[in-house]
Amino acid sequence: METPRNQAKARLFDGETAQEHRVILNALHRDQIYVQISGDTLDTPLEWPVKDLRALRDQSDGSRLVLSYRRDTDDEAPRDPARLIVTDPDWLAWLHVTHDDLFTRDLHKGTWRKVITRSAMAVAAVVLMLFVILPRMADTLADILPIERETAFGKSVTAQMERFLGGKTIGALHCSNEKGQAALERMMARLSQGADLQYDINITVFDHEMLNAFAAPGGQIVLMRGLLEQAGSADAVAAVLAHEIGHVESRDATRGALRSAGSAGLLSLVLGDFSGGTAVLLIAEHAFQASYTREAESAADVFAIEMLNKAQVSSDGMAQFFDLIGGEGGLELPEYFSTHPASDGRAVRARRNSDDQDVTRPVLSESDWQDLLTICD
Amino acid sequence: MTDNVQAFLGRYAGKRSPMFWLVIKTSLLTLLTVGIYRFWGKTRIRKYIWSSTSADGAAFEYTGTGTEKFLGFLMAVVVLAVYLGIVQMILFYFGLTIFSEPTTQAEMIAQIGAIYITLFAVMPLIFFAQYRARRYKLARTRWRGVRFGMEKGAGGYVWRAIVYYLLTAVTLGVLTPLATFNLEKYKADRSWYGDARIEQHGKWTALYRAMIHPILGVGIFLIGMAVLGATKLADLSIVLLIVGYIWAMVGVVSYRVQSFKYLTKNKLLAGKITFDTGIDTGTIVTTLILGSLVMGIILAALIFGAGVLVALSAEALIMMLGPVSLQIVLGLLYLMALLFSGALTMAWVTQPIIEHVVGSIAVYDHDDTLAAIHQREADQGADAEGFADALDVGGAF
Ligand SMILES: [Zn+2]
Repeated sequence: METPRNQAKARLFDGETAQEHRVILNALHRDQIYVQISGDTLDTPLEWPVKDLRALRDQSDGSRLVLSYRRDTDDEAPRDPARLIVTDPDWLAWLHVTHDDLFTRDLHKGTWRKVITRSAMAVAAVVLMLFVILPRMADTLADILPIERETAFGKSVTAQMERFLGGKTIGALHCSNEKGQAALERMMARLSQGADLQYDINITVFDHEMLNAFAAPGGQIVLMRGLLEQAGSADAVAAVLAHEIGHVESRDATRGALRSAGSAGLLSLVLGDFSGGTAVLLIAEHAFQASYTREAESAADVFAIEMLNKAQVSSDGMAQFFDLIGGEGGLELPEYFSTHPASDGRAVRARRNSDDQDVTRPVLSESDWQDLLTICD
Repeated sequence: MTDNVQAFLGRYAGKRSPMFWLVIKTSLLTLLTVGIYRFWGKTRIRKYIWSSTSADGAAFEYTGTGTEKFLGFLMAVVVLAVYLGIVQMILFYFGLTIFSEPTTQAEMIAQIGAIYITLFAVMPLIFFAQYRARRYKLARTRWRGVRFGMEKGAGGYVWRAIVYYLLTAVTLGVLTPLATFNLEKYKADRSWYGDARIEQHGKWTALYRAMIHPILGVGIFLIGMAVLGATKLADLSIVLLIVGYIWAMVGVVSYRVQSFKYLTKNKLLAGKITFDTGIDTGTIVTTLILGSLVMGIILAALIFGAGVLVALSAEALIMMLGPVSLQIVLGLLYLMALLFSGALTMAWVTQPIIEHVVGSIAVYDHDDTLAAIHQREADQGADAEGFADALDVGGAF
């Protein structure tokens, strides 16, 4: 290795005091090559092995190098605390060309083990919170929440949903055609016959073309006009309604709200705020939401089928409805239907049930069904 | 004490272009690693800024590492996961129990808002994180090979910050100088350069001179409100309201600049080293406005160009790859816009302000006190501002 022939002037901070030393650099050949640093203000010249030299990274001034050398210390990186500032062009060129390890990052021993154990601990803590502790807590809290509070919260949620769907004031989207209302009430009466419901079910139809329905906390159920129009039969609408009643009865919406209140803070914490953080967060939260309402969906299906059987309504309408949303593809709103288990399996289950049903009669008469369809007029 | 005075002048040598590309590069890596690279990214940006800052030709050094920040973050996550998850849910629950049925749009918004207020539960943690973050940054800063440092004291800072900010809020901002001065004094008096202590001198009441502009701005705004209420002079009141609003906004910047000036001039290191700053409100405000303007123009041009491209190719995209592909393209464009605006802000707004602040500072060493300052022990700083990272209170760099 060719060393620079000339001496060079440099500045040294010894890492012990804030005093600046004006020093002279020499290259020394012995068992290996050393940089010898000498100066009037230094008691004895320093000798740094060239192969251990390290330069600071990400510096703004390319015309100088700030050097230290590799040594086991308590510093953030295993480096000697002294700093040598070299600006001599010949020396800079020599250091850059001949010294591959100049910008190497050195890690303290055991760093990797630390990274792995701490990552595992953090992941375990988050997973435990998200999937064990928070769901349990949400269940408990949902159970002890007084029903009238839950209802108030549910009304707030539906009001918010209405605003989101374009309603300028509360009630702006509500469909209130009298005949339609009466038909809806008859459908509800038929379904709840003999069923022991703990909630007063409050059904609202929104004047919106979306094929969707949702259950807000405390017995608030919203059907969209688009669902009535595309469902194809009163029995199908009844099946959807029964399914949503299932959600209401098991307090799924309240549970979900509590759960996401806990998990939202947690997820934003883990993902942090970086460019696009919000977007990723939304996706992550949605995926998360979907995975934990899946069992609730199946339970609501089971509830709906039982309700239909009791009311002697054919579950064939349910099967047809699942066929319909199975073919519908992406729904516009990340609501409950989009988080459903694959619709095919559900259609099969409903159809198998309808084969076993003995006596069934339509949930609404043909004229009632026509009235229901005009509820938004 | 006047016999032997040596002046060290601050200088900032960072340039726009390398900073811009550094931010782009680190943000891209952050995006590709779902956020994990951000610890290393922030560290690299700090290394660049610190190394651009010099006094008397000796640059500062940032010795923090991305790895230790990542480790600190993981530790904070374990603590915060438990705390945040449980506290947030319980608060949300109590938010629900005070719910009543909304009858108007305003009531509904108020109730949803009430739930978000529960986020204030994290305030103590945020103050804690802020103190720890400052301590970490100081502990990882060196000048002339000597470490800065800060004593432990986050707990004391938390309750003081809560008390002072509550006082400020209760008095509608009149006691802002008390909070500014005492909180800065608390932090400054615990700061060290090597074995030399930094002291904050001065009086909090002196900061009222800096309050002139915010108070004037609010005053004009209130007069505008009064005029609007008492008379029907809509034109006059609108002018007053706008002038008052802008005056107050600039006034807030002015307050921060002027209080920084006062606090800096009244700091003392090792009992003998003094500080001065010629920081100028006008320069800062101009930089903010011009920088944001330039940034806005560049960003708007980029978005416009991308928009035209997408509009031209949208039909083809949908035809070939279905409607979802358009959403993906738009999503990517959105991410790119975020990324560019971050980098542009850093290069055109943040860095020029740093440049002005650093360039305005002068340090006066009396009787060669500086050369006698000795190294201090390394601060292991277990969490390496992990709490600040986890709670996202770190700021741009
Ligand atoms: Zn469902």
